[in-house]
Amino acid sequence: MKLLRQLLNNKKALVGLIILTIIVLVAIFAPLLTEYSPTRRVGRPHQAPSWDHWMGTTRLGHDVFSRLVHGARVSLAVGFGAGLLITVIGTVLGIIAGYKGGVVDEVINFFTNMVLVIPNLPLLLVLAAFIGQASPMVIAIILGFTSWAWGVRVTRSETLSIRQRDFVKSAEMLGEPSWRIMLFEIFPNLISIVGINFIGSVIFAVITEATLEFLGLGDPNTVSWGIMLYNAQNSAALSVGAWWDILAPCFALAFLGLGLALLNFAIDEIANPRLRTGGMLNRWTRMVRIGEGKL
Amino acid sequence: MAFLLRRLAFYLAAFLVAATINFFLPRLMPGDPIEIMFASAGAELSLENLNALKLTFGFIDAPLHEQYFAYLQSVFTGDLGRSIKYFPLPVTELLGRALLWTLGLMGIATIISFTLGSFLGIFAAWRRGRLVDSVISLGAIFSSSVPAVVVSLIMLFIFGYTLRWFPNGYAANPLIDPAWNWTYISSVLYHGTLPMLTLVFVLTGGFGVTMRNNMINLLGEDYIVMARAKGLSDNNVMLWYAARNALLPTVSSLAIAIGTILGGSLVTEVVFNYPGLGNTLYQAIIARDYPVIQGQLLIMTAAMLISNFVVDLSYVLLDPRLKKA
Repeated sequence: MKLLRQLLNNKKALVGLIILTIIVLVAIFAPLLTEYSPTRRVGRPHQAPSWDHWMGTTRLGHDVFSRLVHGARVSLAVGFGAGLLITVIGTVLGIIAGYKGGVVDEVINFFTNMVLVIPNLPLLLVLAAFIGQASPMVIAIILGFTSWAWGVRVTRSETLSIRQRDFVKSAEMLGEPSWRIMLFEIFPNLISIVGINFIGSVIFAVITEATLEFLGLGDPNTVSWGIMLYNAQNSAALSVGAWWDILAPCFALAFLGLGLALLNFAIDEIANPRLRTGGMLNRWTRMVRIGEGKL
Repeated sequence: MAFLLRRLAFYLAAFLVAATINFFLPRLMPGDPIEIMFASAGAELSLENLNALKLTFGFIDAPLHEQYFAYLQSVFTGDLGRSIKYFPLPVTELLGRALLWTLGLMGIATIISFTLGSFLGIFAAWRRGRLVDSVISLGAIFSSSVPAVVVSLIMLFIFGYTLRWFPNGYAANPLIDPAWNWTYISSVLYHGTLPMLTLVFVLTGGFGVTMRNNMINLLGEDYIVMARAKGLSDNNVMLWYAARNALLPTVSSLAIAIGTILGGSLVTEVVFNYPGLGNTLYQAIIARDYPVIQGQLLIMTAAMLISNFVVDLSYVLLDPRLKKA
């Protein structure tokens, strides 16, 4: 609750939340926002933006706006689904490794470092290529199971410092089972790290899904921003002058990325007060300076 | 020395994991692995050639572990099979040629954006809370959150198609013969500008944010206060006391970032039709040329491990504590 209040007081977080809310609302109410079906031919190929088709049509005569608002659903679902999976795996392994120590820690740490040095996109390319035309769901799952390493690393190092604190020691003295300590003593203190990890993972998942689909590894029948880019690139939209076909999903992805990144930066600032630039700190430095002037 | 040896052993293990993934992936898929691997070969490959290819990938009449060792043997002797699309070009040759372009593009972009990002981060941290900081921070957030595909496409649209300042593809003018003369080199530079700018845009933000946050965390330390109390100039404290120490974690984050940089570089090459790994790979994905797709994982992993090792080396140089260990 405190975190939420702090978030709303942070300007970056507020803008980020507004952007995210807009996209979520658009995704939920997609069918109400447009009369056109995203998968049906509703106009001539590559029509420029007009009153009938706000963002023009694609090479196949699909309405770009309709595909954009429906595609928001897939981007958000894959982003948040994969983000959640990445965060859960990363947090659980990180806390276990950091708290248990010993052999468990060494094994988890070894695998984490291993996954970190195998380049992610090339690995995903191989996996997706063998799976064939991967649906958004499949992409989310393989993202989840290949991208948790960074989360383990940060969660583990933070757990290492928390487990030395008195409240953990006293819980141990009281004989609480270790799962209880990890869940109720350590986890609540990691909430900002988990938040940063989650939003960072969502950004990563959104970007990577779009990239994989753009590279032709997605299912071409999906309505998503990545597939829109793929189709636009394949129909040489830029060289025939159909810029709307490419720019619409581009701006949508940039908008979503910006909203998430602002939120992430804000959580970082809240978790680490030294990074804060506005508000309190400003007022404080100004007061100090005025004080200096008077002396 | 022991530190570096331990890292080397670890990198060898990591490479082995990548090779193992390659080995098991076609065998885990439903259906006949040989059929899957070489489906795109069709009738173009003679039986003899196909058998040689099967042997390289460990498809022999033997138990699984012997197949595995057969595959590892070909990997560690540098035989990654042959491309099916460009038969009989060996995968190593096809990818090696492409890798040269990618490393050039990626390497220069990384150096530029690392330097630029670090300086912007140092500057923003030093003037934190002021306008400069807000502008740099917001710019950095924006640049690090927009996918490389999007930046490439927008760059191509603005500078390639609308303003026509830069060419839309290729590494150099195809009419000019490759040679070590100014005409060719200037053509390479001209063609490389847009992909380079895209990568610098995508990468600078991340380095900037990391550096800024490291710096700010350090600025509260006692030795910084001490340095100022001694009456050293601002620039002196900023660069020689704070930035020098803030650089250490930034360099280690560089090692992790190399994978992301590779990814961004791949996509950018596809958009700009640049003859690097990304584009070669894109063609391979379209043609389902599995030997090439598998080969890239090994080559990229190797590239990543080597650059990690270089970072390890520079870490030893930057952090005197590690020299003793």
